Amino acid sequence: MIKVEHLTKRFAGCVAVDDASFTVERGEIVGLLGPNGAGKTTTMRILTCFFPASAGRVTIAGLDIFTESLEVRRRIGYMPENVPLYPEMRVDEYLRFRARLKGVPGRRVNRRVAEVKELCGLEDVGLRIIGQLSKGYRQRTGLAEALVHDPELLILDEPTIGLDPNQIRQVRGLIRELAQRHTILLSSHILPEVEMTCGRVLILKAGRIVASDTPGNLHGRLQGLATVVVEMRGPAGEMEARLKGLVGVGHVRGESAGGDWMRYTLECARDRDPRPEVFTAAASAGWTIRELRSEAGSLEDVFVSLTRGEGDGE
Amino acid sequence: MRAFLTLWRKELAAYFLSPIAYVMMMFFLVVMGFSFWLLVSVLIQGSMSASIMNELFGSIFFWIAMLIVVPVLTMRLLAEENRAGTIETLMTAPVSDAEVVLAKYAGALVFFVLMWLPTVVYALVLRRFSPLVAPMDFGPMLGGYLGATLVGALYIAIGLFCSALTKNQIVAAIICFALINVAFISGFLAYVGRDETVRNLGAYVSSVEHMRDLARGVVDSRAVVFHLSGAVFMLFATVKVVESRKWK
Repeated sequence: MIKVEHLTKRFAGCVAVDDASFTVERGEIVGLLGPNGAGKTTTMRILTCFFPASAGRVTIAGLDIFTESLEVRRRIGYMPENVPLYPEMRVDEYLRFRARLKGVPGRRVNRRVAEVKELCGLEDVGLRIIGQLSKGYRQRTGLAEALVHDPELLILDEPTIGLDPNQIRQVRGLIRELAQRHTILLSSHILPEVEMTCGRVLILKAGRIVASDTPGNLHGRLQGLATVVVEMRGPAGEMEARLKGLVGVGHVRGESAGGDWMRYTLECARDRDPRPEVFTAAASAGWTIRELRSEAGSLEDVFVSLTRGEGDGE
Repeated sequence: MRAFLTLWRKELAAYFLSPIAYVMMMFFLVVMGFSFWLLVSVLIQGSMSASIMNELFGSIFFWIAMLIVVPVLTMRLLAEENRAGTIETLMTAPVSDAEVVLAKYAGALVFFVLMWLPTVVYALVLRRFSPLVAPMDFGPMLGGYLGATLVGALYIAIGLFCSALTKNQIVAAIICFALINVAFISGFLAYVGRDETVRNLGAYVSSVEHMRDLARGVVDSRAVVFHLSGAVFMLFATVKVVESRKWK
């Protein structure tokens, strides 16, 4: 469905997307994951023909996005970040306008609008003015708009940003429902989001794709690693040095846990559980432990370990 | 073509959904009312000059209305799309940049013409109540309307260009006001120019001079060519500004 080869986008003074290549097959839900500024929105804007790439080639449904831009745009439903809408229009009015603009035949416009309104739960607000709708309804209006011409490919930029947990759940359900008929590419910087909805995850960092796999396999990558969290009271420097010295412990991160308590996060080899050693070390030095637990690696850890930059030195 | 018509209809409807258009329409009619009052007061003195329509289409009130109404009508067109981010949904729909620009232009121009429509009443009033036998010649009247549309066509194109430059409607209005003032004032080079060439150039670009001719019923091709070519050039520039997102 989407084939991206060596995509690069340079803006004055910075490279937003750097030699990215990936493919999305028909019927997949793919999540584009990355910290803010990683190039997610830029990639999406290139795919939707908002602006062209500096280098590289992208085809969507076999059509080149540069030379057959109008044809490509007919096949894409795009919901930009923050869902821009015309606040002075009514929901029905807006959806009909967008349907006609996207080439839905005149006699089918009303039917299509009714269908997407039902799909997105907008039946009751058709006559309301968009500017007066709540954020959740606006989000759904944006989604209905993206769907109105029944596109093969849906591109959703941060579809659940700014929604409350109930609305997030609804939108997520809706996306999963849509996946039966459409190929979906969505972006997010929220991990559980991607973990729950997407069949495959592309992790972007500073414009480069650093990982592309199913959420399950990305978990698998972490199998070699485990995390132990310990909260203790004692002389901070000494404790940290002692923890680092334990066999099988790699990276140690210390932070204050309120009062004179310190919380340490230890990365260690999965086959070695350092908890007994941590306890023995603390007991022999007379430090008090109030918490000692082991955490399985989550997608978040993969994300953090893959996207940890030089700049944020954690 | 269908996309153009859809966009054009939406742009025109957008005027009627915003209060600012009604306010401007009222402002315009009040100011043109002063023009009409001038015309009537000249008629009362028994003037039968052929340039009587100049009182309506060449008065200071006419130009005040033009210079203020056009920036306000055009400031929103693209600046608001840029600010709200709807430019992104608009330009990722299967429409070309030129279609979007032309549809917005056509929407504004049609609204501008609609704004003039109520002034047709002036002609009917004069015809009905004038004591003279045939005070109203429709030639100058039509010439005047043609002139108003031509000047509107050029100024609205300038306004649309300014609106494409920025995300801020007020900034767009101010730049537009400045530019159409330059266009307006450069016409006075016809009087103050030091040598022949400059004076001729001044006369050619002088919307005021052109309006004076048109309001006498003289349709000079130079007036038509100047305003239309100016409008086409500004629209071309607007399309380039909209496209410029692709060069960055």
